[in-house]
Amino acid sequence: MADAIRAERLGKTYPHSKDAALVGIDLRIPAGSVYGLIGRNGAGKTTFVRIASTQLMPSEGEIWVLGHDAVAEPRSVRARIAVIPQESRPLYFLTIDELVFHHLRMRGMERAEARRRTDQVLGQMGLADRADTLVSRLSGGLRRRAMVAMIFASDAELLFLDEPTTGLDPLARREVWAAIQRAREGGRTVLLTTHYLDEAEALSSRLALIERGRVIVEGTPADIRGRVKYPFRVTLPASLSQSELTSYGEVSGVAGGWLVFAREEAARELTRLALGRNLAVAMAPISLEDIFLQLVGRPLTEGESAGEEVA
Amino acid sequence: MTDRRRLRSLWTIAFMNGVIPVRRQPLYLLNTIASPLSFLFFIALASRGTLLRPAIAGGMVLTMISIGTSLQADLTHFKQDMKFQDLVVASPVEAPIYVAGLALSEFLYSIPGLSVFVALWVATGPPPGILDALTVGFTLLLVWAFSSALGFTLATYFEDIRETFVFGPLVSLGLTVLPPVYYPATFIPAAYRPLAFLSPATYAADLLHRAFRLGASEPLFGPPLLAAPLDWLALIGITAGLFLLAAKKARWREP
Repeated sequence: MADAIRAERLGKTYPHSKDAALVGIDLRIPAGSVYGLIGRNGAGKTTFVRIASTQLMPSEGEIWVLGHDAVAEPRSVRARIAVIPQESRPLYFLTIDELVFHHLRMRGMERAEARRRTDQVLGQMGLADRADTLVSRLSGGLRRRAMVAMIFASDAELLFLDEPTTGLDPLARREVWAAIQRAREGGRTVLLTTHYLDEAEALSSRLALIERGRVIVEGTPADIRGRVKYPFRVTLPASLSQSELTSYGEVSGVAGGWLVFAREEAARELTRLALGRNLAVAMAPISLEDIFLQLVGRPLTEGESAGEEVA
Repeated sequence: MTDRRRLRSLWTIAFMNGVIPVRRQPLYLLNTIASPLSFLFFIALASRGTLLRPAIAGGMVLTMISIGTSLQADLTHFKQDMKFQDLVVASPVEAPIYVAGLALSEFLYSIPGLSVFVALWVATGPPPGILDALTVGFTLLLVWAFSSALGFTLATYFEDIRETFVFGPLVSLGLTVLPPVYYPATFIPAAYRPLAFLSPATYAADLLHRAFRLGASEPLFGPPLLAAPLDWLALIGITAGLFLLAAKKARWREP
């Protein structure tokens, strides 16, 4: 399968900043796939998206998008991509219908085709009954959905979605997920950045975990699970002592008890032990969140409130 | 992108930002005419009507300069607050099309204001000839062009909409209020008159004053016969220079 995006030794240091936002990134994003970029705020996800979508110059390395050098041939790239920038807001003086329709016209689309695509996407995204509502009168979640509709209605082959479901309720998230799946079925490539690991896992055929501007791990969700030492999690009450648990795996304190990352056999043994003592216990395969915790040593959400994403 | 698609793109941007908001809130139109008419009112009143015609020309120039400051504010708002420019950068829309579309939208806002000044021009003096009308039209077109280029260049450096609140009035002050735009250049003491010609609006006003048959300032150098050609030369040169500056310095893809 051809690469939609190929980055080699890609690096970025912002002017007036001592620290690198991206360091030596090597990534290949296959065409026709949904690719998830996950990481904490400030990890470098948005910087990568902005470079690949020709909004930002890299400091070093090379990047090809849809077969074109994104640095030297930005126009060839721009003709075939669409982006929802992080924290972007729709033009508030338009209705949802105008927003989508005029976005397509702005990209140069014929009127009839723009009309057809607008009606189609508003129906698919559950926005048809609000088509004539002014954006300024919508909730934050609906505004975000309108932005997503705008991008999906385009004829772009490669879609960059920078945290598209932030602030959406669960039902609206599912509608965006469905739109992403339709895009993939239609042969488009989607580069998705997200904090929601369930979202990344549910949608992405491959993932890259970025931390401090570096790719920590990359592969299919199954590959990534296979690379961690402890593929199971067991939660236990605080009445057990930590010293009893350390031989089973990696123990950490959580609200109301203990979380133990363990291999399958150790996890089963620990569960039997707890059940034998009539204690509440839960055993499950680890989530992406757990993988992040094991690989990075701190949870994905740590530092989010600081709002440290630099670009 | 083909030229046809470029034109479609340009008009869509102008329509989105210049027609739809006015349909929803027609009071926007009053905003563009408020300052130019206020100056006209006070200058005409204070001069007991003797400066009414120069002030009408000044009103036309200020209306067009306001396009540049409005463009600067809109560009900054769309870039910093809405992240709309990021969306446009990563699309087939090219920078000149985006800026021209927004500049055209600002021009659409200014049409009612300009119409008032044109009506006043026609109503308060001898009927203008075709050459006068062409002079006024081309001069205002150049003012629109240079103020838009200046607005775009400044906007790419602003990181907060509040900066435009500071620079917008300063640009208006430096380009239209202090220089001889609402009043004849001959009102300035001869020793300070060269300073007035630092503002491109001075050349535009000088051309308008001639088209209004008000008499105009002496050229800075050369015989009086050369005054109008020198005004055109300076205005076209400054406009071209500001376009070059915009093309070279304005930041579309960030460094």
